[in-house]
Amino acid sequence: MNIEMMSDVVLDVQNLSKRYGQLLAVNGISFSVRRQEIYGILGPNGAGKTTTLEMIETLRPIDSGTVILDGIDVRKEPKKVKRLIGVQLQSSAFFDKLTLVELLSLFGEMYGRRVDPLLLLDEVELRDKASSQAAQLSGGQKQRFSIAAALVNDPVVLFLDEPTTGLDPQARRHLWGVIKRIRSEGKTIVLTTHYMEEAEELCDRVAIMDHGKIITQSAPQLLIDDLISDGFKKERVERLANLEDVFLSLTGHSLREE
Amino acid sequence: MRLKWKLTVASVKMFVRQKEAILWSILLPLFMVFLFSFVNFDGLGTVTVGVVNLSRDSSLVGILRSVKTLRLHEGTLEAEMKSLREGDRSMILLIPEMYEPGVRDSVATFLNAERAQETQLGTLIVRRALDDLAFRRHGEFLPPTVQTEIVNSRNLTYIDFVLPGILSMSIMQSGVFGVAFSFVNLKKRGILRRLLVTPINPNDFIFAQVLTRLMVLMMQVAIMVGAGLLVFDLHFVGSIANMFIVGLLGGVVFLAIGFTLSGLAKSDDQVAPLANVITLPMMLLSGIFFSRATLPGFANVITGFFPLTYLADGMRSIAIDGASLAEIMPQLVGLAVWGVITVTLAVKSFRWESEA
Repeated sequence: MNIEMMSDVVLDVQNLSKRYGQLLAVNGISFSVRRQEIYGILGPNGAGKTTTLEMIETLRPIDSGTVILDGIDVRKEPKKVKRLIGVQLQSSAFFDKLTLVELLSLFGEMYGRRVDPLLLLDEVELRDKASSQAAQLSGGQKQRFSIAAALVNDPVVLFLDEPTTGLDPQARRHLWGVIKRIRSEGKTIVLTTHYMEEAEELCDRVAIMDHGKIITQSAPQLLIDDLISDGFKKERVERLANLEDVFLSLTGHSLREE
Repeated sequence: MRLKWKLTVASVKMFVRQKEAILWSILLPLFMVFLFSFVNFDGLGTVTVGVVNLSRDSSLVGILRSVKTLRLHEGTLEAEMKSLREGDRSMILLIPEMYEPGVRDSVATFLNAERAQETQLGTLIVRRALDDLAFRRHGEFLPPTVQTEIVNSRNLTYIDFVLPGILSMSIMQSGVFGVAFSFVNLKKRGILRRLLVTPINPNDFIFAQVLTRLMVLMMQVAIMVGAGLLVFDLHFVGSIANMFIVGLLGGVVFLAIGFTLSGLAKSDDQVAPLANVITLPMMLLSGIFFSRATLPGFANVITGFFPLTYLADGMRSIAIDGASLAEIMPQLVGLAVWGVITVTLAVKSFRWESEA
């Protein structure tokens, strides 16, 4: 690995493991994420995706292995790491009775920053909800708001845990647009998902996890090419459109949230 | 420091915007006091008369006893005067040693200054009884003499007893239920967890929450005492500062119980039963609505150690006896001991996340 490539890596995970009693939830996984890429961790429910993210995010103690984020060892200096990351948790609930603007200001204060809440809301297209409370938002709006809250500290790496789970096709596509724009503004994004089309649409590289292990990792197109070159053929001929295309062409791409 | 301040401002906003919290912690206790202000355990339309009979005559007392409007208590002059001063008698009738019906029928009465109606009625009845006895003896009317003296009494009502009790109870309820429910909820929804990925010291958030709730508690005290004075004719003779001090000490105990429960309860359906098991016995047995003196011996002793008993007794002594902090030292020490126990439990049982 030459020096240029080294500096390109913003998150480096080596032999990371987590055990819950008998269950090896994460089993010695290694991967690295480059600056400004969208890196996806794919896998069925219970594969260990969330546990992996939570160890990197300092929420769970690391049993063994190392995680280096922007040159800082997560195990040794979790406080420093917290300042560098933005996190959207799977359950993205916020305090009741505070408006979005008040919440974002408060979260900014937690990093010693005075943020401009309206600019952050613009980033996720929620300016018109500025004086609403988080509980009044629709599912997609909640997810977008929790991304805004994860951006208050201008993080080096943004972690999104299943950001589109439970959203309708319109809201999902809209969120993809938001995520892509944030990346284009220079952020590195690590996300988990169990929707393959989402990974294909968003991710520069993906790791496929199952039973606590990474089975393979590469660019989505390369993985597909590999599979085809192994002689794989879909049983049915690829259709030119699928049911989601039908749904979206009938109901339109515009958001249905109000 | 700035962050603590911002967190506290946010906590206050969250609390104030929660209408049900205001309802439970302030309006409901006021409403209870309002309801109890209609209760008069002294009975309506009766005149409580202390009788001190030093003579050998029993006919006067006999006549008075047959009058339904009077409730007679016979006793020594000293004891009856004490009861009068405490407001437990409307008047006292002193029948001197040389009293003889129709012959030497001078008697003395001591009247409660604040119960003009009752004492007037009582005096009339006494005069009438004296007349009756004189008439029986002589067949003619001789005006007897009744010597009268007005005594200033402190007429404590049930409100004076129950208002400090309800105030203490509402401090308990908002501490235990308020904290336990809101923290189980914050945990369950992962809101506390979200704070853990920020660089704040999570205890700053707890600090802000506790501070907010203690400020609300001071408001509860101020509003209850204020309403008591303005609306309910509360005989408040103590220091409001002392009320705040004993209130805050009690508040810490009950907040700590709330935090302990939020740590022990795995879900919000477990909170209510746990909180009720702790608060209901205290609500009923800590001398909130009726005096603990009515409890049987062992129950009296046990309930004396309840934190709510210490709080209610302390507040009541300050409110109606004007007790100083030194005079309620037993209550303060009791609350302090409970404070150490409950805060320790709270720290040991507190969890930032609900177990998955």
